[in-house]
Amino acid sequence: MKLTHIKNPSTKWLLLVFLLVGIVAMFFVTHNQQLYQKPIGRVIKVTNGIRQKQTDTFQNVDHETNQKLIVKIMNGKYKDHKVTLTNEFSDSGGLDQKYQRGNQLFVNLSSSSGHRLIGTISGYKRDGVLVFLVWLVMVLLILIMRRKGSLAFLSVLLNGVIFFIAIQIDLSLQGNHVMLIFGVLSFVFAILTLLLVLGATKQMLATLGATIIGTSISVLISLAVFSLTHERGMYYESMQYVTQVPRPLFLAETLLGSLGAVMDESTDIVATLFELKSLDPAISAKKLFLSGRKVGQTIMGPLVNVLFMIFMADTFTSALLYIKNGNSWGYTFAMNMSLGTVQSLISGIGIVLAIPVASALAGLLLGRRVKA
Amino acid sequence: MTTITGLGLVLLMLMVIVGGRQGWKAFLSLILNFGFLFMAVILIAFHLPPLAVTLVTGVIILAITIFMGDDDLVTTQTAFYASLVVLVLLVLLIIPVEHWAMVQGFGEEDSDDLEGMSILIGIKFLKIAVTTTVLSTLGAIAEAAMAIAAGLAEIVQQHPQITAQALFKNGISVGEQIIGTTFNTLFFGFFGGFLALFIWFAGLHYSFGEIVNNKIFVAELIMVLVSFVGVILTVPITAFVMGRRQQRSLTK
Repeated sequence: MKLTHIKNPSTKWLLLVFLLVGIVAMFFVTHNQQLYQKPIGRVIKVTNGIRQKQTDTFQNVDHETNQKLIVKIMNGKYKDHKVTLTNEFSDSGGLDQKYQRGNQLFVNLSSSSGHRLIGTISGYKRDGVLVFLVWLVMVLLILIMRRKGSLAFLSVLLNGVIFFIAIQIDLSLQGNHVMLIFGVLSFVFAILTLLLVLGATKQMLATLGATIIGTSISVLISLAVFSLTHERGMYYESMQYVTQVPRPLFLAETLLGSLGAVMDESTDIVATLFELKSLDPAISAKKLFLSGRKVGQTIMGPLVNVLFMIFMADTFTSALLYIKNGNSWGYTFAMNMSLGTVQSLISGIGIVLAIPVASALAGLLLGRRVKA
Repeated sequence: MTTITGLGLVLLMLMVIVGGRQGWKAFLSLILNFGFLFMAVILIAFHLPPLAVTLVTGVIILAITIFMGDDDLVTTQTAFYASLVVLVLLVLLIIPVEHWAMVQGFGEEDSDDLEGMSILIGIKFLKIAVTTTVLSTLGAIAEAAMAIAAGLAEIVQQHPQITAQALFKNGISVGEQIIGTTFNTLFFGFFGGFLALFIWFAGLHYSFGEIVNNKIFVAELIMVLVSFVGVILTVPITAFVMGRRQQRSLTK
């Protein structure tokens, strides 16, 4: 089956072009040191010290090793200079790295009294991995799905740009009105994404309506539950990377997180109902509503699980660390997973609510057309 | 009552009202998946090999999500086999990528949260990074596989004599319809959760170069991109599995 696909001459050319693009991109990203202001060095020699055993208060056994790295600077003022750096790595490697020959590192350099160049390691160069993965996604997407695939990627890129702009706006307002900004942002996201996927059609309007109404009601219900339960068991202090007031930030995160899934589901339901209508123009609004509900029933479970796995996987590493630091399972859950669980539940509510809303909207819209 | 219980009850109620029996099952699958995920943390904490735990947990979570998500056996079996193949392919991609990127464990930005903790726990965080990346993609693979399989099962039902080749083509076209929205589900799911981190980056004026080499950012973007790869691969693989199934039933 796949062979016939590849025998197609245009596919062959496409494959060749992609291969070339890939090689050029990888060459560029491994030789782009000139673009960085920060000095980058390549490890040319590694000498490992003795592996020393470490035991912490919780009886976790680990080993630490010292490394002496000779690094050749690849850019900037000290290009082609060699500098000796020290590094320490552990077996577990939670905050440290074991470097090997050929690795490219960011270094802080200073040439102290005399002429000796000294430096410390500030990080590992990781841009190559991202370029490779983006290339892989694009190749697979365009080879398998051509135009629709490119459009999908385009809409993700576009959303990324808007996301960036919204963060700038949020910062310029110093974190005030977070909910307002990201509420409006969600609206813009939804409109743009659906325009790209569906075009300016009646179908798009119905989907947009369902997405916005479903998400809004779910946020309102959640806020009601929050105030009824006095937010017991919600540990905002366990939120990561917080530089602004955590509560509105959390709500904004939840709103954005569920938006894609609610759109996904509304699109599926509304598209199916439009198809049903085209097959049977005399179909009643009630029948459409029931069919929509049926479509929704099969999608909602898997969709809630998609978000659940995304939200929870992020908490896995720190949960493990908590347990290995002698904390109880309950405390580990509370400090790492409770907010993720709340996020999953709120998204779940949005996903479920979008089913009747999308079905009703499409039913009404298509029902009215019959009478006219 | 805690907020989690309250929201859980609301979700359960809505799921049962909207989904009936299917709603019960959806809620139950969520709880089971949580149970197995938490068990995976515990098992790894007991020093069981992370990769083995990941694979077993992965298969279980795929099975729960798929078999409790739909009643139609043709759909669920096809989706399950296809998602297993995708799972294996992804693990083969994720292991070298994580070794290359070295984004295991924690970043500088985590140091506040880590104060007073012992990081030297004797478990290789690189293996944990593989685990979390695999787990984060499971839901998306299961969902995509089911969407394709359900669409194709319906086509087979209406045209029982359809050839495997035609079915494969139909699978790709169903895939084209879902790929746009699925990508956005993943994009928002991942980036929504990392809003705080992005505000941190922007607030402290990280340069573009610093961001694309930042440990936490790269770790997160790897998850997004690997999930994209997983979903894209799911389309032809599910179509292929369904085609094989059809071929066998035609020759019978």
